[in-house]
Amino acid sequence: MVLETVPAEYYLVLSAAVFCIGLFGILTRRNALVFLMSVELLLNAANVNLVAFAFYWGNVTGQTFALFVIALAAAEVAVGIGIVLVVHRNFDDVDVTNATTLKW
Amino acid sequence: MALIYELTPAIVFLPLASFALALFFGRWMPKKGAVAGILATAGALGLSVVTLGWLLLSGEVHDQTWYTLVDAEMGVDLAFGILIDQLSAAMLVIVSLIAFLVHVFSLGYMNDEGEPGLPRYYAGLGLFTASMLAFVMADNLFMAFVFFELVGLCSYLLIGHWFTEDAPPSAAKKAFLVTRFGDYFFLVGVVGVLVTFGTAGFAGSEGFPALAESALAGETSVNTFGLSTEGWFSVLGLLVLGGVLGKSAQFPFHTWLPDAMEGPTPVSALIHAATMVAAGVYLVARMYGFYALLPTVLGIIAFVGGFTALFAATMAVVKNEIKQVLAYSTISQYGYMMLALGAGGYVAAFFHLTTHAIFKALLFLGAGSVIIAMHHEEDMWEMGGLKSEMRTTYLTFLAGSLALAGIFPFSGFWSKDEVLFETLVHALGGSPLLFGAYAMGITAVFLTGFYTIRMVMLTFHGDPRSETAEDPHSVGWNVKFPLSVLGVLAVVAGALNPVPIEMLTGAEVDFLHDYLYATPEALLTGAEHYSSLSSYGSGAIAGGEIGTMLVNAGLSFGLAVAGAGLAFGLYRGGSPARHTERLGRVQTLLMHNYYQDEYQVWLAEGFTVRLAAAADTFDQGVIDGTVNAVSSVSRSAGARIRQIQSGVVTNYAALVVLSLLALLVVFAILGGWF
Repeated sequence: MVLETVPAEYYLVLSAAVFCIGLFGILTRRNALVFLMSVELLLNAANVNLVAFAFYWGNVTGQTFALFVIALAAAEVAVGIGIVLVVHRNFDDVDVTNATTLKW
Repeated sequence: MALIYELTPAIVFLPLASFALALFFGRWMPKKGAVAGILATAGALGLSVVTLGWLLLSGEVHDQTWYTLVDAEMGVDLAFGILIDQLSAAMLVIVSLIAFLVHVFSLGYMNDEGEPGLPRYYAGLGLFTASMLAFVMADNLFMAFVFFELVGLCSYLLIGHWFTEDAPPSAAKKAFLVTRFGDYFFLVGVVGVLVTFGTAGFAGSEGFPALAESALAGETSVNTFGLSTEGWFSVLGLLVLGGVLGKSAQFPFHTWLPDAMEGPTPVSALIHAATMVAAGVYLVARMYGFYALLPTVLGIIAFVGGFTALFAATMAVVKNEIKQVLAYSTISQYGYMMLALGAGGYVAAFFHLTTHAIFKALLFLGAGSVIIAMHHEEDMWEMGGLKSEMRTTYLTFLAGSLALAGIFPFSGFWSKDEVLFETLVHALGGSPLLFGAYAMGITAVFLTGFYTIRMVMLTFHGDPRSETAEDPHSVGWNVKFPLSVLGVLAVVAGALNPVPIEMLTGAEVDFLHDYLYATPEALLTGAEHYSSLSSYGSGAIAGGEIGTMLVNAGLSFGLAVAGAGLAFGLYRGGSPARHTERLGRVQTLLMHNYYQDEYQVWLAEGFTVRLAAAADTFDQGVIDGTVNAVSSVSRSAGARIRQIQSGVVTNYAALVVLSLLALLVVFAILGGWF
């Protein structure tokens, strides 16, 4: 079996790497679209974990959860794009650091 | 239960109905509500007389609770009820009679003179009468307090009737505040009585006087808050007495009463004769079963009464306005009643209350008639010579004045004589302190004779001293009718209780005495019960009781005649001189009422206001300061911390990550991972 040659730790390392890339994107980028992409990376890092552990334990619950997360991510992107559009309409660009007029 | 006792609440509700009618519909009613008031008080008078008659015929008393606010099982008993015994039945007749006559007189004084605000006036009179009548028939101290306060409120409304002028609202406020000051003590006293006995009922073995009696005898025990039983009861008695002194205008709370002359004259008659001022003395008589247990408090009452009688009489001597003289005479006469109550003369006090109600109402209504005639001029030096122009007023006023002065055989002589006689007998019976009160009382007799006759001479005799006095305004039937009724009563009311005649001839003529002694023993509110409680002994001089009586009667009559004669001698003739000016600085002192107002104003401004200012500083500085400090710390901390809410999502994410890392480090160290 191919799978036996790939231990669970590899998936975890991949997942952690993807998560860190996403986190880095959120912390450093100002473009709202890149922001959304980074969030996608975070979610998918979690998905990798879920699927890997589900396979490791021989249990489909984790895979089901991954499907839910994918659906949720699609919805989140739809809302996120909508927000990005409104931000662009109001501030003439998609820089998230400009949209601070609702604070105190 | 007799049918009449089913109807007694109507005695209160009739004037109350006239109050409501006059208040809401007075503008469209005949005579602006006067007719409703007259009918209501006439009805109340009729019912009161029938009640009194039934009580005389059957001897059946009535004590019933009507509405319970808080049940006795809760620890205190708050209820409204009706107590009709000998005392309250007689008082109901007096109050409703005076109220009825005052309503009739008001037709002449207010309606015919075209005064403004008549519906308001008659509404006030109706409420005044209703509250006093309810106060009189109250069967417990709590209900008495409620209506005592209502009486005070009504006096405020009526004294300030002409509120567009400067003086009346000020006088109304003063009357309200001064009596309220006394009532404050009364309120504390009521609460004290309720806490101590659990009930405030006046009558029966369940009433608080009976409970106090058994507690003093050591049969039961009550909570006395660390004091001796008698000491605590004395405190309670003195607290209630505070309200009495305020309402009955006794020293040092008398200052409101002369100012109250700013109100319409019929109101003065009502206040002085039957309602407001009488309420205080009546309250002491009502709960006399409690006071009779406390010799110290009785001594204080007697001394305050005697002192007030003399003190007020001296001020009345120099006054120039007719109503001012009458005002001070009222204070002085109520002093006599307090003297009698304090000296153990329960019957004498009620006798004097009765005769005084009649002759003082008469004098005020007479003064009102004079004021109408003089076009609202009240200075006696602008009057003179009115007797030929105003025959009815003169004769009735003279009858009232002779009664006030205590001249034989007018009613005031008999009652005042009995007050002094009781005081003297009890003073001789081993209470030498009462001699002081007696001395003040007997001295005041001379002054009373003097100022009364001075008032009559200046008002009615001599030559007219102004143009209005030469051609006075005429008065109608509605003025003459009340004057005539009261004039006749002022002459004959002494026949209620002429004790000296009984002593000399042996005839059974002390009707009031027998009447008040006839209260059933079970109620414990009768004069017989009170005399069994009294700790005063009786003594005699000049060969026994008759000798004492003759000495006292001779002394009081002689002094009254001397005072009256002196005034007659000084002020007769066409144009009398202002003799009181010869008193010099004493006159100045008396004209300024011994600077009582000044010192009370000083107390208010120099002491109370400063105390209040200090309390305000403490409140604003310390209490509010603490609260403000706490809130300003929160506010400034919040203002700082909110800076981290930059609105940039990246910052929030960074914070979350940093916090997570910090947590990890903490867990790592605590968990021993390193």
